[in-house]
Amino acid sequence: MSRSLLRFDWVMFSAIAVLLVLSGLFIYSADYRNDHAVGGLMGRQLVWALIGLGCYGAAAFLDYRKLNSSHWWIYLAGLISLVLVLFIGMSVYGAHRWFSFGGITVQPSEFAKLAVIFTLAAWLGDPATDVERFKTFVLAFVLAGVPFLLIALEPDLGSAMVLLPIVILLLFCAGVPLRPLLTLMGLGVVALLILIAWLLFFPESCPLEDYQKSRILVYLNIHQDPLGAGWNKLQSQIAVGSGGWFGKGYLKGTQNILGFLPRTVAPTDFIYSVVSEETGFAGSSLLLVLYTTVVMRCMHAAVLARDTFGRLLAAGIGVLIFSHVFVNIAMTIGLMPITGVPLPLMSYGGTFMVTIMTALGLVQSVYLRRRI
Amino acid sequence: MRIRRTDRIFTPRIYLLMGGMVVAFLVLEVSLWRLQVAKVAQFESKQQVQSLRRVRLPGIRGKIYDRNGLCLADNRPVYSIALFLEEVRRAGPWSRTIDHAMDVIGRVAKVTGLTPVMNRDGIWKHIRLRLPLPLVLWRDIGPQAMARLSEQGHDIPGVDIYTEATRVYPYSPYTSHLLGYVGRADPDTMNEEKNYSFYLPEMAGRAGLEKVFDVFLRGEAGGRLMQIDVTGYRHGELAHQAPKSGGDLRLTLDMEVQLLAHKALGGHRGAVVVLDPNNGDVLAMLSAPGFDANRFVPYINTADWDLLNKDPAKPLLNRAVAGVYPPGSTFKPLVGLAAATLNPAAIHTVYDSPAVFQIGQRVVHTTGHGEVDMREALKFSANVYFFKTALACGPDPILQQTLSVGLGKKTDVEVDFEQSGIVPDKKWQKENRVGWSDGDTCNLAIGQGYMAVTPIQMAMVTATIANGGYLYSPRVVQAHRLPGETEYVDELVRRVGKMNWSEAAVVAVRNGMHDVIMEKNGTGRRAAVEGLDFAGKTGTAEYGVKEEGAKHTWMIAFAPFDNPQYAVAILVEDGDSGGATVGPCMKVLMEGLYEKMKREGRLT
Repeated sequence: MSRSLLRFDWVMFSAIAVLLVLSGLFIYSADYRNDHAVGGLMGRQLVWALIGLGCYGAAAFLDYRKLNSSHWWIYLAGLISLVLVLFIGMSVYGAHRWFSFGGITVQPSEFAKLAVIFTLAAWLGDPATDVERFKTFVLAFVLAGVPFLLIALEPDLGSAMVLLPIVILLLFCAGVPLRPLLTLMGLGVVALLILIAWLLFFPESCPLEDYQKSRILVYLNIHQDPLGAGWNKLQSQIAVGSGGWFGKGYLKGTQNILGFLPRTVAPTDFIYSVVSEETGFAGSSLLLVLYTTVVMRCMHAAVLARDTFGRLLAAGIGVLIFSHVFVNIAMTIGLMPITGVPLPLMSYGGTFMVTIMTALGLVQSVYLRRRI
Repeated sequence: MRIRRTDRIFTPRIYLLMGGMVVAFLVLEVSLWRLQVAKVAQFESKQQVQSLRRVRLPGIRGKIYDRNGLCLADNRPVYSIALFLEEVRRAGPWSRTIDHAMDVIGRVAKVTGLTPVMNRDGIWKHIRLRLPLPLVLWRDIGPQAMARLSEQGHDIPGVDIYTEATRVYPYSPYTSHLLGYVGRADPDTMNEEKNYSFYLPEMAGRAGLEKVFDVFLRGEAGGRLMQIDVTGYRHGELAHQAPKSGGDLRLTLDMEVQLLAHKALGGHRGAVVVLDPNNGDVLAMLSAPGFDANRFVPYINTADWDLLNKDPAKPLLNRAVAGVYPPGSTFKPLVGLAAATLNPAAIHTVYDSPAVFQIGQRVVHTTGHGEVDMREALKFSANVYFFKTALACGPDPILQQTLSVGLGKKTDVEVDFEQSGIVPDKKWQKENRVGWSDGDTCNLAIGQGYMAVTPIQMAMVTATIANGGYLYSPRVVQAHRLPGETEYVDELVRRVGKMNWSEAAVVAVRNGMHDVIMEKNGTGRRAAVEGLDFAGKTGTAEYGVKEEGAKHTWMIAFAPFDNPQYAVAILVEDGDSGGATVGPCMKVLMEGLYEKMKREGRLT
């Protein structure tokens, strides 16, 4: 046990711990109004963080290799939960994304992402799978494609899109030939350009939802709607921009406290803009450094992993966290269209917290059993 | 366990990926630096952090015109001094911000010479309910105060002049029941987020046509986003979205007739409805006493509201559609039509109409008129004739006619709070557990007892008799004009049916109504107008306890007799009798209408 503790990745754990503390502090701030926090979100988030820590510990000390044989079951469970949520999920604004168990809501798409990483890692790490073959390449996309479609059906295209970099970068790390990968990415870029052209010239026939269209157009600065769909983007940019070097001070962000940032999204998808406004460039940079640390330690675990399964598991989780962090922050500062992608470890939300903590626990498990 | 040892040859790929991630994070870091550090430096000398001022530009509410293009509901700009609370926000508890706000208010008061009206409680209320909106310190300030503030108020933080449109009703006391009024739309505090993404318009319809057509009249709010610093200096406008107008309405109302109706009522408590019998257009709809709808904009103070609400004369009640009264003798033409339709001989049946009549155990004392036929019975309003007629045909044909002419249900005029009145048919008797006796039949025959109608219903009945049996749903809106359009789109005339009255029955009843006005001994002779041939019927309806002798008095009329262009119902609450009280009112109205028809060359 003491040997285990010595091998434990304390750098990553410290970064996680700091992020969790900051999460509590700034969720309190996002929830703060009229001299007190109104929703009691911080308390709930701390409970989720404790549950997350439990999962983290359990995952870290469990030998990940023992889970290898059950990866198909994990994948199947993920799929079933995604199918079920479409039918018995809670309907919020017409979207079926959550299960509701006596006041606690669970978002199965978060678990499903981890399940896909786990399954792909195990399958690509299987000696029987020949990563050089084109069949493997196609099958990997099918494996990720089914949950992608199910999540997109909820509809939650933003969450589904995160699966794309995961599967591509996992294949890359697993060692598939570069040519099909690069071809596919080229095709993806072409498809995106076609979609944008379609939106611009034939908006009527475009199959996207209206809000998705307007978000993309707002992002491209073509459809100026600063009081409508562009509101959150502009407000968020102003919140971040008004932070200056050191921010306006804790609980003093005017954009946040006066509710210019919509109160429903400030503690969740836009938590980064709260931090940025109140702590300025210094605080937002610190956060970025912490995330870089977490992601790099994941990749470091991948490099040192004893076997391919462990390597791909750690790398996949690294990519998962990287994608969320990048998309969320880029959206907050107006570099990307607004998608409902939360910031790992910071955003308010129980399922996501537990999922990410479990994932990081698995990385720790890989690290503990490394080669050297 | 099928596990493959790590392929070292692919480790460089992971390092490559790590490099890519670091680069991506660096891109974010550089963007953050540009947004948070470089851009702030753009505003050279200003070290203070700027904030965003959101000025809302309320939607421009559509106007309401009468049929001749006279504007009945208009907009007027109002200048107010507003405080943007986020700019005077102090750290810590709100009480510190309020202290500061009070300080600012004091400075503005000193500069402008206005007396402060906002107090700490008011600010608290605003913080709790309407935080995202500017706090209005003074509403509708004069040009002097405005000039002083723009000259000397530069350095007062968070204060700005705020323009909004307010509603004015130029003909208010005469149009207030029909048009209703608007009030300030409060942000929906339950659904807070919507307020941040979308501006709510400033005015919302609270009553009358303003309420019924609120969605159509409402414009769409626009807004301006300005970046300013703590001293109030504007760095620039980030966004501007012009507000959009709402649609306009053109009513069937003729303001000339409406004013005539007011003149005719002459201070009595009651209602006047004038319809065009050829299409159901409401030319006038007046309820008295009225109230000044302008006092409701943007909100009415509690004292004024209590005064209106507790006034025993009920000025807020739109008697034309929501006042329910027994029709009295104005109901008799319908009894005649029902009897004559069932049995054509009834037109010429002559009944003795004595002063004393016994129904079962009850003895009724009334006025005697001797032997009369239907035409004469209408002229004299002979009660006993109608008792006998009703007893001969029974209550059912009468009730059936009453229902098919549209009594007992709403006329579906576009005005709110319309009442349906009461027709004591079988269904009603069952629901109210009323046993039906001959006495009830006799009461029905003279429009007493359980029957109850609204003035607009009686005007509709009059129009139907005037045009020979065509039923029109009264309409108030003639046409609507969509935002940005120049042409109006006409609403449909709503003809809803045709009565099965025989020609002979209609002629007999119309002749009887003609004699009411035009004969020397008709009950409505006081309404006669030199040179105008028209027809009508008086009504005096007792209500309440018999000994008190309380009466609502009526008159219905249509003119001209041969080519009806106006169908009128006038009700006066607590009058003496239809002929004596309402006759002179009808005379004033008909004189005016006669002049109008002569002037417009509509008399043939």
